Amino acid sequence: MINSIKFIALTFPVFYMLKKRSSYFLIAVAALILSVLISGCSSSARGKYFGKTVAPTDNVLRYVTGSEPETLDPHISSGQPEARIYMALFEGLVEYGPKDQQPIPALAKSWEISPNVDEFIFHLRDNAKWNDGTPITANDFVYSFRRAFSPEILSSSAELGFFIQYAEAFKTEQVFVKNGDAFLLSKDFGGDEPKPHVAFGPETDFNKFIHEPARLTLEGDEKARAKQIEADPKLKAAVNGAEFVPVKAEDIGIEAIDDYTLRITLRQSAPFFVGLLAHQFFRPVPQHTIRTWGKDWIRKEHIVTNGPFRIKDYRPYDALVLEKSPNYWDAANVHLDRLEFYPLEENSTILNLYKAGAIDAFLNHSVLTSWTEEVRLYKDEYLNFPEASTAYYSMNVTKPPFNDLRLRKAFALATDRVSLSNYRKVTKPLYDLTPSGIFPEYDKAREKVSEEIRKERGIAPEVWANYRKFDPEEARKILTEAGFPVKKNGDTYSCPNFPTDAVSITFNTNENNRGIAEFVQAQWKQNLGITVPLKSQEFKTFLKDRHDVQYVGFAQSLWSGDYMDPYTFLGLHYGYPNNGDAGFNDPKYNKMLDDANAELDPTKRYEMLARAEFYVMEQQPSVPLTINATNWMKKPYVKGMYPNPGTLFAWKFVYIESDPAKWDHDVENIMADSDPQFERQLNELTATQKAVTK
Amino acid sequence: MTENVEIIKGASLGRDAWKRLLRNKLAVFGMIVLGLMIVAVIIGPAIIAWTTGYTYDSIPEQKELVKAMGPSFRHLMGTDDAGRDILARVLQGGRISLMVGIISTTVSLIIGVSYGATAGYLGGRIDNLMMRIVDIFYSIPYILIVIVLLSVFGGPSTPDWIKWLSATLGGAGNQGLSQIFLLFFALGLVSWLTMARVVRGQILSLKNQEFVMAAKATGVSTFAIIFRHLVPNALGPVIVYATLTVPSVMLTEAFLSYLGLGVQAPFASWGSLAADGVKNIAIFPWQLLFPGLTMALTLFSLNFLGDGLRDALDPQTRKF
Amino acid sequence: MFSFILRRLLMIIPMALVVVTLTWGLVRIAPGNFYSGEKKLPAGVEATIRKKYGLDQPWYTQYGMMMSNIVRGDFGDSLKYQGQSVNEIIRRHLPYSATIGILGYLLALTLGLTAGTIAALRQNSWFDYGSMSLAMFGLSVPNFVLGPILVLIFSFWLYLLPSARLGGPLSLILPVVTLAAIYTAYIARLTRAGMLEVMRSDYIRTARAKGLDERSVLLRHAIRGGIIPVVSFTGPALAALLAGTVVVEKVFAIPGLGNIFIQSVLNRDEPLILGIVAFLSILIMVFNLIVDISYGFLDPRIRYE
Repeated sequence: MINSIKFIALTFPVFYMLKKRSSYFLIAVAALILSVLISGCSSSARGKYFGKTVAPTDNVLRYVTGSEPETLDPHISSGQPEARIYMALFEGLVEYGPKDQQPIPALAKSWEISPNVDEFIFHLRDNAKWNDGTPITANDFVYSFRRAFSPEILSSSAELGFFIQYAEAFKTEQVFVKNGDAFLLSKDFGGDEPKPHVAFGPETDFNKFIHEPARLTLEGDEKARAKQIEADPKLKAAVNGAEFVPVKAEDIGIEAIDDYTLRITLRQSAPFFVGLLAHQFFRPVPQHTIRTWGKDWIRKEHIVTNGPFRIKDYRPYDALVLEKSPNYWDAANVHLDRLEFYPLEENSTILNLYKAGAIDAFLNHSVLTSWTEEVRLYKDEYLNFPEASTAYYSMNVTKPPFNDLRLRKAFALATDRVSLSNYRKVTKPLYDLTPSGIFPEYDKAREKVSEEIRKERGIAPEVWANYRKFDPEEARKILTEAGFPVKKNGDTYSCPNFPTDAVSITFNTNENNRGIAEFVQAQWKQNLGITVPLKSQEFKTFLKDRHDVQYVGFAQSLWSGDYMDPYTFLGLHYGYPNNGDAGFNDPKYNKMLDDANAELDPTKRYEMLARAEFYVMEQQPSVPLTINATNWMKKPYVKGMYPNPGTLFAWKFVYIESDPAKWDHDVENIMADSDPQFERQLNELTATQKAVTK
Repeated sequence: MTENVEIIKGASLGRDAWKRLLRNKLAVFGMIVLGLMIVAVIIGPAIIAWTTGYTYDSIPEQKELVKAMGPSFRHLMGTDDAGRDILARVLQGGRISLMVGIISTTVSLIIGVSYGATAGYLGGRIDNLMMRIVDIFYSIPYILIVIVLLSVFGGPSTPDWIKWLSATLGGAGNQGLSQIFLLFFALGLVSWLTMARVVRGQILSLKNQEFVMAAKATGVSTFAIIFRHLVPNALGPVIVYATLTVPSVMLTEAFLSYLGLGVQAPFASWGSLAADGVKNIAIFPWQLLFPGLTMALTLFSLNFLGDGLRDALDPQTRKF
Repeated sequence: MFSFILRRLLMIIPMALVVVTLTWGLVRIAPGNFYSGEKKLPAGVEATIRKKYGLDQPWYTQYGMMMSNIVRGDFGDSLKYQGQSVNEIIRRHLPYSATIGILGYLLALTLGLTAGTIAALRQNSWFDYGSMSLAMFGLSVPNFVLGPILVLIFSFWLYLLPSARLGGPLSLILPVVTLAAIYTAYIARLTRAGMLEVMRSDYIRTARAKGLDERSVLLRHAIRGGIIPVVSFTGPALAALLAGTVVVEKVFAIPGLGNIFIQSVLNRDEPLILGIVAFLSILIMVFNLIVDISYGFLDPRIRYE
């Protein structure tokens, strides 16, 4: 660039000789711009690290969390950017393990699981305090759960807790039906038969109540309830003269047996429940503060937290500054003095700041696709690990043409996920609902089941290897059989009968979605001769169409797991309405999932889930596309931060390493590399639970 | 009796102006470039498709080619991240950008000039009311208008004539174009407001001049006074402002594309191409350079032309 | 004159309420809700939310309740950012937008007026062509392109200025320049056109004939008439500036009101949208009033009845 300025300076004398000086000016400006732009790309030599990398001398981590948090109240927001903040401020019964996100002890030092896997007892620490010194007891949890499920709290994550007995009824303001002295029971009106109750923990009055056969619940709203009653004559008869009793907070299946023992009772068995409890929705909130300040309790001047950090300063849209909390029970093991969270959304701004050394790490999915080639070379900083998060196209199975299973299969077979992943650079191909590489035990079960089914059907291994993957020949054959013949014209195909105005690829406008849509559209054009039009919509408009299943054809969907169990993905098409947004409702699939969750042996359960997954994928409610990768960076002096499947960090493990000899190298092996300080801390923490499970 | 009267052709205002315009070299340069650009975007895509087979939405079949490549013989302007030829996209994008500029500006000119001139001339209470209405419309966020227009009309209730237009210009099955036409209306609806204010300002200073009083005295109708006497005299800044409106509208469209509300995939406009290209500026500068330069060149030409028009139409501007 | 100003001032509040009503209508027509997210809400939870926010009541009831609150200045709490009141949000973020907006416009005025005047005086000189071409450049480059280019040059190649976030006076330079670019271009061209108009007019010829030196002619007579188009432009430009700072705020990570406003529309956060719209509309109307008043001072031919 300096050269181009010199060049222009040299030609300045020409300026005075020219008559048409105006054109000179224009040419000079244009040349300057051109040279600036072109020389830019070749100006910087590559250093060892990406941009400025100097260990901060103060013990501070500067991190970009994502978009500005909706609120500091952990019960309300379900977003990931908020989750990262809550994990620093509030601690729950268990915490996400730093490497695998499996639950590790937090406020509960150990827990026990009932033989039916539908009841849990947690033993709390006796030395945990709120940061104003108030001790934390089991009562705080009972209060917090009841508050989180109360109808006044507008929480988007409440559904996660509906496994708890009567939680859904309380949240949605339903009622019990009391006839004389007895309540109507759900098993008499279509509900499941209750399993025999196995004693677990001390018998209390509440325990007796919660283990009675489940009560029937009806809608709280009179009109909706009347409709329910009208629909069932047996119910109508039974309801005659009965009283409707609203479900209260005290009815929820949570009990403080004593100050440091908590028992939670579910309405069905859920082996993944303990892992689920690490979610922000289940973290405790300070009842004394809420009683005093009401909805203002989260303001900077009033808020009271119990996590490893507390708020030092909060400037919305600018920075959230946290400092180490002295009253935290494990303060001795918190390494950072300060955490600075910056809410940024523009990926280019984030990368620029990282390169300038103004931030130390940032959230997942933030490296722009076009930068990936270059950034990948920085092996000490760029983290590319599989995430529990998938992208797929839901198909509207309620309207033609996709109410025909054959057409759905054809489009799925015509999609080459491998080249899509290569194009996206930061994803892997996906063929099912559940991503591979996240649940090793489940992956094994899937392979086993797949082999069993192959033998049952008597199909050769070579053919089976490509089953349901990329097979354009087969796709064209199915399409032709279904009544839309595919004609070959030299190198290209065409399918004139297909109603292209009855389908579209609908997605919300952002660069990634557009890239995927254009690529897949090109594939279908190439392989099937069908050009599916694209339809890009603004986010909220798009959500409405997708949630109401009003779109035509395909709709882009993304799903991240809420807990580390395949059920979080398989549950997408469970029941109705569901989050799969395909309009898919199959009672057989529902039953397969229910049966699997009732199975107590984990291996058998995974096999049953695998069979259910195989079954539902043959019904093809969606076209699976890709598994997302973590795709973020951190400076090599940041340790204790691992690319786990959720990109959520237990901040007390993170520390800044000032000795360059100990910095992270080749982060591809970061999970296997040994870090004595981290391991010691983790082992100390998990020792209490290990002692229980033996 | 036969009359052998030679009919002398009077020099009308139009012919005078045209002659003056042609004398202005920069304006002629602008006209030529603009003309070439218009021709290029009309026939260009067809020519490119015929010679090389590239269109604005053709992603190459060979997997190795699906990436950004620098300018070469096959791809004169290089390719974007999906391997699409940028020249084809720039030409297609030009169609849309130029249409946005021309249509929206025309809409805003017609509405704005009529409205502002009337308000300025009539004055008093009516002027007050009309300007208050402008104030009100100015405060409504146009982003909201765009969202509502696109979502309410972009679905099954798209009027038929919009569907016909989009089929003609973009090929069958292209519902995306109807969104673009709705965009034109939305942008036109927003940009007439400032035009009205500028015109009103001009008219306010002109309306008390002698020629107006003379016209009134000879009984010329209000309508004629406004449109045949005042408006032509106010044309100077109005034309300059109109030539400022075209880039402003094109930039607003680029801004909307940046937010995700403007031109939707698979279509592109110069603005949306620039928005995409700027992300890769440090590594693939040609993705920004070519659409940006094309847009700049077109807008430059528009401005030279606008200046020339102003100089030519304004009878008082003489070079002393 | 005084009664004219008073009448206009009194009209402002009712007009703002009309704007709020129209905006409210638009928000209600636009599909989508503030509570929708990637994961669907269970039907029971959605019903509870709708009940809590009064969304299950007929629209005229909701409108009535909302207007009675707004008239008292109470816009309520943001729907998306729970616990934060709309007034608080506006108060907190306005200073950022206002600072870069005002600095940007002042820079644009200074550069634009000067360049435009000189270009008009030296019509067809190299300065004229050069500066107008440069102005044209400012108009042809969108600010979301200009910003990153400036960051690339001044932050990454020259290491002179910070690339994002506010902190210290140096960090203001790039955002302000990016913002000012397009307005400088507009102002320079409008000034030139206006000045050219005026310089040819009779009263200027009279002034010269009277024997006044060029400088007095310029400063005392010509400028007043010449900048009328700029004055017309300033009113709405200043108000649009606040929403127009969005790109600069996004690129440079500045917590300004423009970005929050766009986000609130995309989030369907009705109280926040209405609050910001009401505030902006009052601001625009006040600016327009000031502009109209200054017409009267600048051009004696304009009389207000």
